[in-house]
Amino acid sequence: MDLIASWLGNTPDFAVPFALAALGLIITERAGVLSLGAEGLMLVGALAGIGAQLAYGSAELSLLIAMLSASVVSILFAIMVVLLRINQVIAGLSLVFFCQGLTGLLGTLWGWTNRPVSGMSSISLWPLSELPLIGKVFVQNPVVYLTPLIFLAVVWFLTRSGTGLRLRAVGENPQAADSVGIPVLWYRVAAILAGAALIGLAGGYLSVLSTKLWIADMTGGRGWIAIALVIFARWYPWRALMGALLFGCVEALIPQLAAAGIRLPQYFILMTPYAVTLGVMIWVAASKRAGGEQPGALGIPFVREERR
Amino acid sequence: MSEQVVPIDVSQPKQRQPLLRRRYALEVRQQMAWYWQALILAAALAVGLAISALILIAAGVPGGELLNEFVIMTVFDAQSLQAVLFQASPMILVGLAGCMAFRARFWNLGLDGQMIWGAIGATAIVLFEVGPPALRLPLMLLTAAVCGALWALTPIVLKLRLQVSEIISTLMLNYLASYFLLHLLYGSWKDPRDSFPYSPPFQSFERLPEFFHGYSAGIPLAVVIAVFALWLIGFSRAGLYLRFVDANPKVADAVGVPLRKTILATVLLSGAMAGIAGFVITSGQEGRLTQSFYQGYGFSGILIAFLARNNPIAALVVALLIATLFVAGRSLQVFYQIPFSMVQLIQAILVICVASSDFFIRHRLRRVQGGES
Repeated sequence: MDLIASWLGNTPDFAVPFALAALGLIITERAGVLSLGAEGLMLVGALAGIGAQLAYGSAELSLLIAMLSASVVSILFAIMVVLLRINQVIAGLSLVFFCQGLTGLLGTLWGWTNRPVSGMSSISLWPLSELPLIGKVFVQNPVVYLTPLIFLAVVWFLTRSGTGLRLRAVGENPQAADSVGIPVLWYRVAAILAGAALIGLAGGYLSVLSTKLWIADMTGGRGWIAIALVIFARWYPWRALMGALLFGCVEALIPQLAAAGIRLPQYFILMTPYAVTLGVMIWVAASKRAGGEQPGALGIPFVREERR
Repeated sequence: MSEQVVPIDVSQPKQRQPLLRRRYALEVRQQMAWYWQALILAAALAVGLAISALILIAAGVPGGELLNEFVIMTVFDAQSLQAVLFQASPMILVGLAGCMAFRARFWNLGLDGQMIWGAIGATAIVLFEVGPPALRLPLMLLTAAVCGALWALTPIVLKLRLQVSEIISTLMLNYLASYFLLHLLYGSWKDPRDSFPYSPPFQSFERLPEFFHGYSAGIPLAVVIAVFALWLIGFSRAGLYLRFVDANPKVADAVGVPLRKTILATVLLSGAMAGIAGFVITSGQEGRLTQSFYQGYGFSGILIAFLARNNPIAALVVALLIATLFVAGRSLQVFYQIPFSMVQLIQAILVICVASSDFFIRHRLRRVQGGES
């Protein structure tokens, strides 16, 4: 019982980075930009968050700096795919490698590796936190409570606001959007920067609030898993949140199994998130509906007056 | 393409246009003379190297030492040259693996995983003492190739059958392979003598021999495989089929080219080459299976294939350069305490610069005359 209670209690903490990164990816990809750089941007957010936390000691400020620095680095990506029209797969991959190299280098040079930080104290939602079994779910740091609100705001923005409608139009049919005077390229740049901010927040959350220290390559493929999650969620934010909870469950189970003393080969347990991702990808592909909900112009650079 | 720039909105000539399009129009260039292309590529590389040099200086390497460290010490010093060539053989192999996969339009990001399985296969032959000593090395090579190819089988079948994105699937398989490697090295394959997480050392007949004073046999092996890849891509029937993948898959289907089989075989071959690279490192360099021998190679393979435009001979040259970078990176690590991530950063900068230079090859900026809008 205790085991299940602490498993459930840990799930939101593990789910938040997946959820925020997937949400950032959805914003970017809804504007028609295939964003493979999530892994790298998360690393940038994680390193910047730790750096700010070590320098200023304020977790709120560090998360803001994490968002900001991921956005700044994503300007490079925006230049590559929007201005220079580089193949978006190559641009995304090189962004990941660039960020891996950069964060590995700076983390070591500036001595931020393996230095624990305090994080944020958790808030308990009083009557709920006393519930049996699921009580621990309601003792979380503030960002966990903030996450559904961020989702709500993004969903409202994408589906109810005029700007969100135009952003989706840019991703579905940029030629049509252009013909009614929407600045396609600027919308895409804005979507890249906004998405990167959320992905950076996911990274900052991971280092500042979750593991509470920085290690090179600490995201361990979570950015890639978030990309798989977005495909699984068919670019719908709420489904992405559900998927993130699923992955949160899987990840939260890993330490629990070890604590319970279940004799399973350790490294096979560590494989589970990746195996589950692979399984989810296969399941999505096998149950693919006709058409699919992928944004119509995903991954295709927009060039006005260009005939293809 | 479009020679004339048509105004978007004729009725409102004063309407504000996006900044980038105010006075210039981008056009797609039909073609460009090869020497201009070469010049742009060289300029891009020069810009990338200049940025890298600035970063190195900022990280604490004295500017005057850079040339010394990267060029003179590595090329004109016999021992360093040996190290570079030693480093080059697995590098060439992963680069070729990248070339093959990209020829089949398959983003093989799973080179790491395929290398790991190649090394595991070769080490299994050693640990279980399969075959007589004289046949041990060929058997290890073969097993490494087969294991690497088998690890590439899942993603390519998933792609051909279900259109599962190979970018995600190959990466996930990398994580699975690396954890399986740790499982073996912390488990049953641990060296019983000192209980460190590496396999027992290979015996002398299980290690790649030297073919010349101090030069490993990995180099001729890699060159032979490069020539084979060149023949396959450039002169064989399979190479002709592969050109359809790039050009027009629908036409290929219509005229009866067995496209799926060709793609499948090419990707398996790519996996096999990565597997052989794993074998070359374990048997040639380390002499035992270690837990992080593959790190950095997967990305370098993709980078080499990209910079070499999937051409095997160009891949040889690029691989040699990247190997130099690796060797220089190690000495920077020793002498200036610069983390090895620097090597990855420099490689990424080079890719970004070269990829960006493509823009200038494929587009031109044309001034739009004032009277037009």
